[in-house]
Amino acid sequence: MNMLALQAAEVPFFDWTSTNTHLSGWLICFFTLAIFSFLYKDNPFYKIAEHVFVGVGTAYFALQYYNEGIRGPIVEHIDRATNLAPNEFVTLGGVDVDPTVAIGVRLVAAVLGLMLLSRVIKPSGWAPRWPLALMVGIYAAIKMTGETQSKLVQQIQGVVKDGGLTVPDSALAWSDFMAGSGSITQTAAYLTVGKIVLVIGLLATLIHFMFTFKRGAGLNAVSRVGIVTLMLTFGAMFGFTVLGRIALLIERVENVFTFADPNYAVLGESAYLTPPALITAVIILVLVLRKMTGKDVEAT
Amino acid sequence: MKDFDRRWIFLAMGIVVVSLFTLEKPTEMPPSEYVQSYYDTIEALPEGSIVMLSADFDPASAAELLPTYQATIHHLLRRNIRVINVATWPAAPPYTRAGFDEIAPLYGKAYGTDWVELGFIPGDDVAMGSIGQSLRSAYATDDRDSTPIAELPLLDGIQDRMEGIEVLISMSAGYPGILEWIAQVGGRYEVPILTATTAVQTPDLFAYYPTQLSGFAGAATGATQYLQLVTVDMPVAVEGEPETLVDVKVNNQERMLIQAGAHMLILLLILVGNLLYFFTKGSR
Repeated sequence: MNMLALQAAEVPFFDWTSTNTHLSGWLICFFTLAIFSFLYKDNPFYKIAEHVFVGVGTAYFALQYYNEGIRGPIVEHIDRATNLAPNEFVTLGGVDVDPTVAIGVRLVAAVLGLMLLSRVIKPSGWAPRWPLALMVGIYAAIKMTGETQSKLVQQIQGVVKDGGLTVPDSALAWSDFMAGSGSITQTAAYLTVGKIVLVIGLLATLIHFMFTFKRGAGLNAVSRVGIVTLMLTFGAMFGFTVLGRIALLIERVENVFTFADPNYAVLGESAYLTPPALITAVIILVLVLRKMTGKDVEAT
Repeated sequence: MKDFDRRWIFLAMGIVVVSLFTLEKPTEMPPSEYVQSYYDTIEALPEGSIVMLSADFDPASAAELLPTYQATIHHLLRRNIRVINVATWPAAPPYTRAGFDEIAPLYGKAYGTDWVELGFIPGDDVAMGSIGQSLRSAYATDDRDSTPIAELPLLDGIQDRMEGIEVLISMSAGYPGILEWIAQVGGRYEVPILTATTAVQTPDLFAYYPTQLSGFAGAATGATQYLQLVTVDMPVAVEGEPETLVDVKVNNQERMLIQAGAHMLILLLILVGNLLYFFTKGSR
């Protein structure tokens, strides 16, 4: 039904250079509905959409990684390096090096890659261990230095600087707010209270995770504040997650409604627009699903 | 209530979203401090500055990030700021290509001098560290037509360790994204960083603002606020004309009401669920 509803005259049926075609419209509507049909129950439409998604995604990603991970950095790089004029250098890791050195380094990388793949032939062999060890070592070093700086040093600096209570120069005075300029969240008083809450929450949460010695009544009370802080944090994270998921749902609905445009009508501008066709499609889907058993779905 | 079929909740959510969608009622959003800082940081850049714009998202998060991405391109090019595009997510480059091909001609910008497209780089954090250390080593050619980057005039003034780049902007949908840029580039080279993120990632960012992050537009709400700021001087959308940034803004503003309705439903369900729990507690 949806396909019928999309037989408009003004939009081309298929055009490589455009995404606004009947074919893309059909596919968008079909796959959106097929994925949402899982909310009712598992079914062949959902399975088709799932498999197509995984297949297309894998193909696209494989091509991208080949292009940017093998063709560019190894094949093209070596090709360019071999065709350089005498006394020309290649930049590698921020340093200008002789083309022979650059080619050598890339070849070493290619050999390490092949050693990693040798796991497919002989899983317990020694060859994959060397590149794996190198990768883990380099990754750990890169992560450790960067993360320590950004998530520890600079975060501590931000909190302990002036007791963590510094407010920006642009903060409004309370009297300015009372006079009607700006919002309460821009005032120095509001920001200061926020900073105090931050420091108390941070200390209480840290104390909650302190298991070095047995805690007395005082520390237990502080620990309770830490739990409340954590709960508020998890609540905020849950709220933001819901926000994101709803945004995605709205975008899908909006996308499907795009095909309610008169351009996509079957018979002129007012007849048989997409929403009725969509509703019919959903009803047919539900009827089909109600007749299906778990075995039927497994068979697909 | 144990036998309650959760599909009724899905149906209720569908009805709320679809019915509010048909209202087409745009809702104005006052910009938050974080979004205002995002906007002001770009506004404060001198003309001709170079900005690195990293597309760290894919189609799954385009609903939240694409409007901000398009608005940022408009904002940067309108202010005559030059843009180096990179991507750490494999599915992001088509958005970069489409965005600049559509928007750059509106401001008379030319490829190679006003913007360049370096494309996807595999390697996550390691790749980001590599870009920060030396852009010329990380990329040998551009992504558009494999031009050696030494031949791209825009990159003439760019040195290693992010020298010459005034601001780094990440459209971040998760890992790798803004937190990795802050760790691998922000902390090491002290380049100001801006970001637009999905809602899921937004709570992580408050701790980084304003010391490690100069501003951010979080979720569809942040996107709407930023779109309002960028489109303030733009002509009103015309019915039947091709979609402009103003249309994108109106679309986003319409989504805010739907979002609010959906959130109200969720709150109601949480409330009902909790009340039922407490009322039936004694009977179990």
